[in-house]
Amino acid sequence: MSGPVIALIMLGILVLTIMIGFPVAFTLMALGVGFGYYAYFQAGQAFFDNRVFYLLTQNTFTVLNNDVLVAVPLFLFMGYMVERAGILDNLFYSVQVALRRVPGALAVATLITCAMFATATGIVGAVVTLMGLLAFPQMLKAGYDVRLASGAVCAGGCLGIMIPPSILLIVYGAMAGLSVVQLYAAALFPGFVLAAMYIVFVVILAIVKPELAPALPKEAARPFLEVIVLLAKSFVPLAVMILCVLGAIMFGLATPTEAAAVGSLGSMVISAAYRALTWARLKESVFLTARTSAMVCFLFVGSATFAGVFSYLGGEGIIKEFVLGLDLNPITFLLISQVIIFLLGWPLEWTEIIIIFVPIFLPLLSHFQIDPLLFGILVALNLQTAFLSPPMAMAAYYLKGIAPKNVLLTQIFWGCIPFLMIVLVAMLVVYVWPQLSLWLPRAIYGN
Amino acid sequence: MINRFIYGVDLLSRTVGHAFAWCIIILTLGTSYEVFVRYVLNDPTSWAFDFSYTMYGALFFMCGAYTLSRGGHVRCDMIYRLWQPRTQARVELVLYILFFFPGIFALVLSGWDYGIASMKIREVSVNSPAGVPIWPLKLLIPFGAGLLALQGMAEVLRCLQCLRDNSWPQRLHDVEELEEQLLKAQRVKAAAQDVPEGAQQ
Repeated sequence: MSGPVIALIMLGILVLTIMIGFPVAFTLMALGVGFGYYAYFQAGQAFFDNRVFYLLTQNTFTVLNNDVLVAVPLFLFMGYMVERAGILDNLFYSVQVALRRVPGALAVATLITCAMFATATGIVGAVVTLMGLLAFPQMLKAGYDVRLASGAVCAGGCLGIMIPPSILLIVYGAMAGLSVVQLYAAALFPGFVLAAMYIVFVVILAIVKPELAPALPKEAARPFLEVIVLLAKSFVPLAVMILCVLGAIMFGLATPTEAAAVGSLGSMVISAAYRALTWARLKESVFLTARTSAMVCFLFVGSATFAGVFSYLGGEGIIKEFVLGLDLNPITFLLISQVIIFLLGWPLEWTEIIIIFVPIFLPLLSHFQIDPLLFGILVALNLQTAFLSPPMAMAAYYLKGIAPKNVLLTQIFWGCIPFLMIVLVAMLVVYVWPQLSLWLPRAIYGN
Repeated sequence: MINRFIYGVDLLSRTVGHAFAWCIIILTLGTSYEVFVRYVLNDPTSWAFDFSYTMYGALFFMCGAYTLSRGGHVRCDMIYRLWQPRTQARVELVLYILFFFPGIFALVLSGWDYGIASMKIREVSVNSPAGVPIWPLKLLIPFGAGLLALQGMAEVLRCLQCLRDNSWPQRLHDVEELEEQLLKAQRVKAAAQDVPEGAQQ
């Protein structure tokens, strides 16, 4: 058998074991070692002299001293601290009070709070459950349609993987060899455009069909000054922290790692300011950061060896040859790759998709003259759907878990569908106007 | 005896994981210090870069076994969760032997040579004249991988227990994600509401 065929068998076994459900990081490592042993085999060599063993440790060490991934645990820690600081309640309350007169006020406030919170934490499950406990019952009480309310919570909760500083973009940057700084700059407008599209949809829906999102009673309105004070108390500290972090990164004042460190220090300060900094919460955040970082980074450890052996055997070459042989035009290629990523989002998590499957497309981008920055933004948008599309919509399950019993899973699914459509429209917008994502990085860093 | 082995390994992984988890605080403070002295005092340190990845590397690598003991490594459970515990254990047992131990053992053994070789020459980083030692980080590879191998054995024993009982043995208590905590609290609340309703009928 020739090398490329064996590489494809290797990929096939990987996909099979992933679907069966074994931890992917270890499967990658074992397949890399096993097939690597075959690939680098030389007759008469002692067992441990095989080159694959050296490559395995060398690749492991390159993940251990990867200066891009250093930002991952720092941003995770920042997120864990912020989600435990009890900021969300105040934030949601003040935004909601400020927006009372807007049609669909509660749903709009939910989305704004989520977008704001998404900048501080990229952990989807936490935001959906927190908002599910906080905003969801209020919306139901105010007579909102169950589907609209659940869609707003689920879609808002997923913004965290897209809006910078997001972990997803660091991981994509590390994988694609792109500057995280430029990725953040590129994702900023599309992220907020997506959030804005959600909000516009809710407002229009509330105007056209007021019965879905009844206006709030007028007597509860508060004096203007009080609203401002409320906003200042809850909105400003978080906003200042995030602006410092993002601003420092984007204007090249600090590396993403440095900004992340300052951000995680800031999250501790904020937590202390809200009197939420307890030993128990700190410990929880520290340990959860360790676990989630290990989860993400071990995927890199596994995939480094796997990818090395895969391309040594000629697997990358044969895929490239095959795709180029199809003679696609760039749009078809982009469409096919995004559809594949969309479908992978049903069974898989974004970490697996970015670290294992996206790299298959990356070497092809230059041929089709697709900017890898733009591709990354499209992927980040696309993976929003991984949390929202039935039947495996994680966000829907989180919400179902904490929602009142009479809320059905199917209602939540139906609620997610319009937001899912909006994501697809947003992808189209980003594709048709690439300037939306590429303008900011070019303006700041030149070409 | 078997239970004590599993328990002991879990405890070891957790203790080591918890200990190295605190690297995040050191990393935060150290890097923030660098930012301060560079941008405010205009006097950057020479060690900050090597320091940052050393802390990060030690943090995630030594927590691999801890994460495994919590079932925290990402996996696709679309099909897996539909099976009976016994089927799950059977499949997992085979997969551990085929797809876990070969890679991890290779990493332990080759990592050992790699780490020792680096330690013997007291290897330092080439990134700065400060000569920050990087051999400790390299030496962590065989230990982190060894701990993973040990935890893998404990998981295999768990599979065997599950084959016997058709239910997964309990794990040590540990911190949980916020969504898990909230979901659990909600379940408890729902159960508490159910009881009086049932009593009335």
